[in-house]
Amino acid sequence: MNPIRMTALAVGLVLGLLILVFATRDTSRDRMTTHLVGAVAPAVVGVTLDGSEWDLDDQRGRWVVVNFFSTTCVPCIREHPELVAFAAAHAEADDVRLVTVAFDDSPSAVAAFFARNGGDWPVLTVDTGRVAVDWGVIGVPESYLVTPSGHVAAKVIGGVEMDELDGLLTRAMAAIS
Amino acid sequence: MRLGDRGLLLTWLLVGVVVVSSLVGSEMADRPPLTNADRVHDLASDFACPVCQGQSLGESDVPIARTIRSTIRTMVDRGRTDAEIRSMLVTRFGEDIDYTPRGDGLVGLVWILPVLVGGTAMTGVVVSIRRWQGRSRGGSTTRRPVVLGVVAVVVVLAGVLVARSAGDRLAGDTLSGDIRSSTRTLLADAGVSSPDEAISIYSRVLEIQPSNVEALAYRGWARWRAGADTEGRSDLDEAVAVDPMYPDVRVFRASQRHADGDHAGAAEDLVALDGMEAPPIVGDLLAASRLRERIATGLAASGDLLVALELLDSGLDARPDAAHLLAERGWLLVATRSPELVLRGMENLDEAIALDPLDPYGLAYRAVVLATVADRPDDAAVDLTRFTGLAGQPADLVDLLVVVGLLAPQPTSGS
Repeated sequence: MNPIRMTALAVGLVLGLLILVFATRDTSRDRMTTHLVGAVAPAVVGVTLDGSEWDLDDQRGRWVVVNFFSTTCVPCIREHPELVAFAAAHAEADDVRLVTVAFDDSPSAVAAFFARNGGDWPVLTVDTGRVAVDWGVIGVPESYLVTPSGHVAAKVIGGVEMDELDGLLTRAMAAIS
Repeated sequence: MRLGDRGLLLTWLLVGVVVVSSLVGSEMADRPPLTNADRVHDLASDFACPVCQGQSLGESDVPIARTIRSTIRTMVDRGRTDAEIRSMLVTRFGEDIDYTPRGDGLVGLVWILPVLVGGTAMTGVVVSIRRWQGRSRGGSTTRRPVVLGVVAVVVVLAGVLVARSAGDRLAGDTLSGDIRSSTRTLLADAGVSSPDEAISIYSRVLEIQPSNVEALAYRGWARWRAGADTEGRSDLDEAVAVDPMYPDVRVFRASQRHADGDHAGAAEDLVALDGMEAPPIVGDLLAASRLRERIATGLAASGDLLVALELLDSGLDARPDAAHLLAERGWLLVATRSPELVLRGMENLDEAIALDPLDPYGLAYRAVVLATVADRPDDAAVDLTRFTGLAGQPADLVDLLVVVGLLAPQPTSGS
C-alpha cells in the first residue's frame, strides 16, 4: 500500500477510536451527579446554631438528607420552602432527618435566615469549609441522601423539590429493602 | 557500509542524543518548590477550579477554590506528600479537575495517542523517504533496521514530550511559559502565604505593576498589621487614590483609621464602600468584625452622633435586613437619654429583634434598656433569657449585662 495512504488510514483509525471513546464516555455532569454515590458518607461534625454538637455518625440507623446551603445563594433561598415542607411531612414518622451545612456564610446571617424562613433542623455554620471539601461540594445548593448504614444513596446538584426528595427516598428505601 | 551510510547513521544518532539530552535537561531544570507556599502554589496550579471556566485553583477566588486552597495549605503544613494531596483532591472532586491526567484507563489515551499518531506519521515519512532513496540510487537495506530503530526512539521521545506538554498544561498558560511570574498568580500566592512572605510577594507584584491596587491594598494592610504603620498607611492611601472604587481597601483603611482614632475618616471610607457593588463577603466581614458599629460608637463618644447615625443608616440602606445595625442605632439613641431619642431608640431595638429574634446585640441592649430605663424588669427578663440561651454570647455584651447587674459576674478561669 502507498505509505501516504497507509499513514492517513492509521491516523484516521486512531482519530475514529478517539471520537468513539469520548462520545460514549459519561459527561462531566454525569460524573459529578454520581460522585460519592454508593460510597461511605464523609464526616459531618460540627456545632449547630443552638450550640449543640452534631455528628452524622450519631444518625446511624436513620435516613439523613445532608444539604449544603448559603444565605447568599438564590437557588438555596428558592429551595428552602421545599425543605421546610419535606421536614414537616416527615416530622411525625421521623423516618428521615435533615441537616444543613452552611458554606461560606456567617452564623448570624444563617440564624436570621432560618428565623425568618423556618426550618428547625440542625444547621452547622462553623468550620464548614472542611466539610464541603470532604464531600467534594462544588457549589451550593447540593443535597445528599444518606442511608441508615451511612452510605450516600443519591446526590442532587442544584435546588431540590420536596417531591424529588421523596422520590429519591422511596427509591432508595425500596432498593435497600 | 559505505562512508555516506555511516555519515547518515551518525547524523541520526546525533539527533537522538540531542533530543534525549534536551528532554533530560528540561526535566532536571524544573525548579523544586522551596517553601510550603511554593508547594501550595504548585499544587493549586495543577488543578482546575471545579466551578470556573479555565481557571486553576490557584487563580480562582470563588469560595470553594479558596476553601480548597486552604485545605491544601493545611495538608502541606501537616507534612502530607504531594501524592496524598493530589489523591485527596481527585477522590473528592473527580479526575476532571486534575490538569495532569493519570496514565491508565481512558484518560491514559491523552498520553498514548500523541505517541501513536506521531509514530505512525513518522514511520510513513521514513518509509516514503526510503522508497524515494531506493528509487534514486538503489540503496542498501542493511542499515534500514538501525535507522528505523533510531527514528522510532526519537519519535517515541517526541511523543512523550508532546504528551507531557499536554498533561502539564496550566490554565491560561502562555507560549512564553511566564505564567508563574504573572501578577495574577503572585497575588493568589500571597493569599495563602505568611504575612512576611505575602508582603514580599506583593512587593514583587508592584515591581511589575506599580499601580496594582490589589497588591497596594493588601501590602498596606499586611504592613499596617505587622506594625509598619507609616508604610501601611501610605500603601492604603495610594491604593484608594489609584482606585477609589476598590472595596477591600476601603474596609482596610476604615479599620486602620478607626484604630488610629480617626473615626470620621473611617466613617467616610465605609460610606464610600456602601455606594459600591462589593462582594457579599465584604458585608459579612464587616458584620463579623462589627467595624461599623465600633466606628459609630467612637463617633458618638466623641460627640458626632449625627455622623454615627449617618454611618449606620448608610449600612442599613445597603443591607436593610442588618438587625445588628438597627440594634446599634437604637442603643446609641437610648444612650443620649433624651426622651424623644430614647423612644426612637426603643423602636429601633424592637425593629432589630423583629428582623432577627436571635440577634445578641438587640436582645442584650433591649434587656438593659427595659430594665434600667423603661422600668420593665419582666420584659427585660424575657430578653435576657433568650440572650443567655444563645450559643457564643459576645463577651462585650456579657460584660455589659454584668455591669448593669442583669447577669451575675462570670467565674474567672482557674478560680
